[in-house]
Formats: sequence, structure tokens, C-alpha cells
Amino acid sequence: MKPDSAEELDSLAGEYVLGTLSPEQYAAVAERLHTDPALRAAVDAWEARLLELTALSTPQPPSPRLWRRIQRSLDELPAPRTQTRLWQRLGLWQGLSAAGLAASLLLAFILLTTPPSTTEYLVVLVAPNSQAPGWVVQASDSHMIELLPLGQDTVPDGMALQFWTKGEQWRAPVSLGLVKPGEPYRVPLQSLPPLEANQLFELTLEKAGGSPTGLPTGPVKFIGRAVKVI
Amino acid sequence: MNSPAAPFDFHRCLVACAQGDRRALQALYDHEGARLLGVARRIARDDATAEDIVHDAIIRIWTRAASYDPARGSARGWIYSITRHLALNSIRDTRRETVLTDADTETASTLHGRVDDLDLWSGSAKIYRCLEQLQPAPQRCILHAYVDGCSHAEIAGLLGAPLGTVKAWIKRSLKALRECLE
Repeated sequence: MKPDSAEELDSLAGEYVLGTLSPEQYAAVAERLHTDPALRAAVDAWEARLLELTALSTPQPPSPRLWRRIQRSLDELPAPRTQTRLWQRLGLWQGLSAAGLAASLLLAFILLTTPPSTTEYLVVLVAPNSQAPGWVVQASDSHMIELLPLGQDTVPDGMALQFWTKGEQWRAPVSLGLVKPGEPYRVPLQSLPPLEANQLFELTLEKAGGSPTGLPTGPVKFIGRAVKVI
Repeated sequence: MNSPAAPFDFHRCLVACAQGDRRALQALYDHEGARLLGVARRIARDDATAEDIVHDAIIRIWTRAASYDPARGSARGWIYSITRHLALNSIRDTRRETVLTDADTETASTLHGRVDDLDLWSGSAKIYRCLEQLQPAPQRCILHAYVDGCSHAEIAGLLGAPLGTVKAWIKRSLKALRECLE
């Protein structure tokens, strides 16, 4: 599509929102919105300008079966695509698999050097980039876990480390609280399902007081998966 | 037609949807479903199609809630934008090339009475005051397009005006509205 003057761009955006473009023009604009920030901004502005005209349409109560139908469709949706930002980042998992070796070496070391105990699960939390182990999670039963620091970590002023876990079938991670760098931390797990193999644990850097959304929002500092100790 | 007495926090609702909270989606549907269906029905001019559109819109709101970016506009605007574009898409291929039937025209002609409704015109939304400054025919072009989902050709038929004139009215009206709203 040829470059537009500001006026043409705005007119195109206005007609896109209005709905008067030809199917071909409409499809071209919809495609271009992915790559053209100026056009996107113009469309957003028109959406906002004209929004109140929706009040001219008389509300129509939906039939009771519409919500049932929506619920059925929701039940049939594949795994939610809504939590992709943090938990499905490719780089994160690539880093994690590379971290496997470091983690298993450390795990072997811990297993060989600690006296036999009732520990059932172990997690080594490593830094996603350097794969340097930073923390160990151990659970001696399925209802209490201990987070033990392997070194003295620091966090910037006004920030905090937040501890999260997510079972494989869980919809979203759950916060286990704020952790002080370099200090052991114990968490009862009564309110969560029992620990399971492969359960994900991570520490993210959040604003002091913890994530405002109840989900991890800051960068992952340490991450690892639970391994059942035989 | 009146705005709800209690303000509904659309943004918070989308944040909850993004976290997988279905109650938030249901609250959104309970609160806004009838208005969304009204918008879709007006464009689709068919009850069953309108429910299909709202169904698809609610599913899309659910699956894309995490991608809503407050910097790009209001959460309510995002929800309506999804619904309207789904409605426009649903009619785009099937209706644009056909001539409006009498029944369609009747539907569309009720618009004029609504637009003259004093309650609406005295509403706080500035867009109405700006629309009022347009000549009647260009004003109807904008409303037939946005509210009824009419194409240029349909509007030309409804207004008994040449196609080229309708296109020019729309371009000029958009410019005038933008200047008025600035």
C-alpha cells in the first residue's frame, strides 16, 4: 500500500472503524494494523471517538441459551492462551532445559551429602540466563516446603522477590509469598493441592509488597521443577 | 438506554478474565450482554446471527483478555470494538453487494427517530454534540455506517444520493468530527 499523508491515513482509519471500507480495503487495513503503529494509533483514536454511538442500538436481552452455549465453548477451549507471557516464553524453557545438567549435578550433590531424611521433593531454582543455582526447595511432606538460599542474593531498593508455584494442570501460578534474599523461608501448602512431580517453582522480581495483579509480572530470577526423591 | 447507575470496572474485569476467572466473564456478560447483542443485532439485522456474533465476541474477549493494552484505549471500547468488527465481518461478505430490502430500509429508517431523541442528544458524550453540527444527510451517513453497518451503496440507496456524494460526505464528516472532538 502506498504511503499515506496524515490526512489520508486518518480517513482510512475512520472508515475502517465506521465499517465503510470495501472487503478488500478492510482486509488490507486489518493486516497493516499489525505492523503500522501510526495507523493503529489512528484507528484506536476513532474507536474511542465513535464508541458512544453504540448507545443508539437498543439493548436486546440475550436468550438464556446463549450463555449456556458460551459456557460449552469455554469448556471446549484448548489450554488457556491467556497466561502465555511468562510461562510459555520459549527462551525461558530453552534456558531451563540447558539448566537441567547443572540442576541434576547439584541435586546429586545434595542427595549424596545430606543425611537421609524424609524429603520427598526437591527443586533446584536456577537463574534463567546463567543457570546458576540460587535456591533449593525441599519438601519433607506434601504440606510444608522449605526454600533455602544457596548464596547471598540482593534485590534493588523498592523491589522484592516473590515466590510462585504452578502445577502442570493449574490454570495460573499461585503466590507463596515474599522472600527475603539470603534467608530460609517456610511455607505451609495447606491451601494448595499436594505437591506433584514436575511442579514449577519460581522467584520473580516484583515491586515491594508483591505483584499487584496476583500473577508474576516481573522478570524471573530463579526457576525450577520439582523432582520426586526416590 | 440509560447508563448503568453503578459504574462497572471493565478494566478490572479483563484483568480477572486474563487470570482465568470465569465469574468475571459472566459478570461482564450479565452487565453488558444485552447492549452488545443490541449493537450486533442492529448491524446483522437477524437475531440468530447477532447471538452468534456475541458468542464469538465473548469467547474472543476471554481468550484475548491478556492482550488488552490499556494504553491503546478503554477496556469498554476494546470490548465493543471486538463485537462491532465481528458483526461487520459477518455481514461484509454476504450483504454488501445486495440491495436493501424494504424490511431492511424500515429498520434503518427508525434510526432517524432515535437520533432526534432529545434524551440522547442531551447526553454527555461529546460525539453527539459534534454530530449535531453536521448537515442532516452527512450525519445520517455516519450513523447508518457506524450503527447499522451500512455500506456506501446501501447509504446511497437509503438517502437517494449518488454514491460519489455519499463517499465525499463521509470523508468530510469524519474530518469535521475529528476537528470538533479535538
